[in-house]
Amino acid sequence: MSADMKSRPPRGGMLVDGLAQVGDCGLFLLNMLGAIPRSLRYLREISRQIWFVGAMSLVIIMISGLFVGMVLALQLYYTLSIFGGTAALGTVVALSLYRELGPVITALLFAGRAGTAMTAEIGLMRATDQLAAMEMMAVDPIAFVATPRFLAGVIAMPLLANVFSMLGLLGAHLVGVTWLGVDNGTFWSNMTSNVDVWKDIANGTWKALAFGVVVSLIAVFQGYTAPPTSEGVAYATTRTVVFASIVVLALDFVMTAFLM
Amino acid sequence: MNPRRSFAAGTGLFILLGFAALAYLATQTSSVANFSSGPTYDVVAQFDNVGSLKDRAPVKVAGVRVGSVKSIQLDSQSMEAKVTLAIDTRYNDIPDDSFAKIMTSGLLGDQFVALSPGGSPSVLKNGSRIINTQSAMQLEDLIGKFLVGGSSPAKSSSTGAAGGKSGG
Amino acid sequence: MPIEAVADALVEVRDLTTMLSGKAVFDGLSLDIPRGKVTAIMGPSGTGKTTLLKHITGQMRPDRGTLRVDGQNVPTLGREALYALRERIGYLFQNSALLTDYDVFENVAFPLRQHARLPEVLLRNIVLTKLQAVGLRGAARLMPSELSGGMARRVALARAIVFDPMLILYDEPFVGLDPIALNQVLKLIRTLNRTLGITSILVAHEFAAVRQVADLVHLIANGRLVASGTPQQLARGESDWTRQFFGGEADGPVPFQYPAGDYAAALGFTGAAA
Repeated sequence: MSADMKSRPPRGGMLVDGLAQVGDCGLFLLNMLGAIPRSLRYLREISRQIWFVGAMSLVIIMISGLFVGMVLALQLYYTLSIFGGTAALGTVVALSLYRELGPVITALLFAGRAGTAMTAEIGLMRATDQLAAMEMMAVDPIAFVATPRFLAGVIAMPLLANVFSMLGLLGAHLVGVTWLGVDNGTFWSNMTSNVDVWKDIANGTWKALAFGVVVSLIAVFQGYTAPPTSEGVAYATTRTVVFASIVVLALDFVMTAFLM
Repeated sequence: MNPRRSFAAGTGLFILLGFAALAYLATQTSSVANFSSGPTYDVVAQFDNVGSLKDRAPVKVAGVRVGSVKSIQLDSQSMEAKVTLAIDTRYNDIPDDSFAKIMTSGLLGDQFVALSPGGSPSVLKNGSRIINTQSAMQLEDLIGKFLVGGSSPAKSSSTGAAGGKSGG
Repeated sequence: MPIEAVADALVEVRDLTTMLSGKAVFDGLSLDIPRGKVTAIMGPSGTGKTTLLKHITGQMRPDRGTLRVDGQNVPTLGREALYALRERIGYLFQNSALLTDYDVFENVAFPLRQHARLPEVLLRNIVLTKLQAVGLRGAARLMPSELSGGMARRVALARAIVFDPMLILYDEPFVGLDPIALNQVLKLIRTLNRTLGITSILVAHEFAAVRQVADLVHLIANGRLVASGTPQQLARGESDWTRQFFGGEADGPVPFQYPAGDYAAALGFTGAAA
């Protein structure tokens, strides 16, 4: 190949590019946080976004929660019966759901359902000059588009995680008590004496909140910085799912280690 | 604007549902569910060893929950565990010579305090002390006793555990 | 090319220099946009005509030079002052840039809802007036996805004039329009300028269309102003630039070949390269 066909600008390598992206993302977060006071004027927009990212994700969250709870009950019943401890089924299911599976699976589903929608929507708004048009109408697109979606995601995630856990518990009860014959009273009383509001439920809620922050941040950032082409938006959407999933799982480990 | 109203209403409903789920999980499936709603009175019991008894563990009479463990502290004078039990005021007729025993629910279950009623005409009141107690049954004790054939009854759980281990 | 100072310039560009990824988009550009007139900015593709519009609105900042709009030097303005200035400028995007979440009425009402606390009745009347002006009052409840390109552009125009701006920037307003829609847009540009006295800046390639509305044409190439005058003056083609641009010649000051290395070498004739 002749030298004059090289059109790409020199790049700093994957590590430098990656670090630069993380830095940009952090600055973007600061921008959004700074825009919160101005975003509060757009309460209607925030509530509309909660509807889109939260309420519209309910069905998938509820169905997934139910099935996860059911399979959890099956697997744990099998494991616990080896030790003759099926009485602890309710406890183990509840703890797994509240501390781990509720926040994490909800975050992954949320990234796939709501995160991609946010990225694609904002990316298309950029590609069709809607963001530029807002700037021209003296409306800050960070305050009007980015921050409301970010806040909506942060608010919706913990609520969705709770719904997920509740449905999971229902599924586990269905399988454990109705099908496998664990005593109903034992199922609940063992759970209520071992699940702690602060250590278990609050911790799970903090996790869900943190996941809401990172998933929404990544989704909005990817959309906002997507190249304004159909290809660019498509890549950005993929990146949202990939990055959000990795960050959620890594953060989950870190938070679990610290919150134990 | 009608479409906007319906968005707002749907959003409100969603938030309500989310918080309802949180409230349900927090109050119905956690130890909060075990807190008696009514007032309680405090009774103190001292044990040689509480094992793995925890705060808010249930207190039961004949298997029926009557209260919960409020606090577990070390009494620095007697070097015994001082356990404060919060008992529902509905159960204000428990004889004061009742026997408090730390038991385990099932093989893997958690520990709780079982009260075996005595025959005294006077009853436990706020600030009463339960004299007759029996410590937690340590698995190591049992194993030790089993291996040594019960020939050397453990005086205290700690020596019992040590003996059990050396015996094994 | 020397600047003939315009007595009453709304936009005054002096010595504007902007680098974009190592390439000079503007290299000491100076020009004036007279108040109350329709000025067309023309030039070969890629000469930064749209970039100039973005400089005027402060969406981009130059590396050097001043750009005064109504006396304010835009590159030095802070956010608040910039937003205050933008409220007085209408901008018509090439692809209309209607907010896809809202219907036509709400799109036009958007700037009003954001910047003015108006009673709903008054707001409705203003919006319907503007929609009537562009002939789309009947389409008020359609969504942007239901509009044709020409209709979308007219809605965007209604939105751009909803605050009665002092200046409207048209970015390629004629692209992709059928002859009927083109004439409608031309008529609107003329009407808004003649009846309301709104200063207009027009970035376009279609000289035939520009000729019908522009009072003044600036021709930009290589980051500088290379010709300026009424459409009739430029059409006479007194310089190489105007000849090539308005005469439609393929080669000239703007070369047909994109700058490249030695042709023979690229084809592998190494002997020729040496």
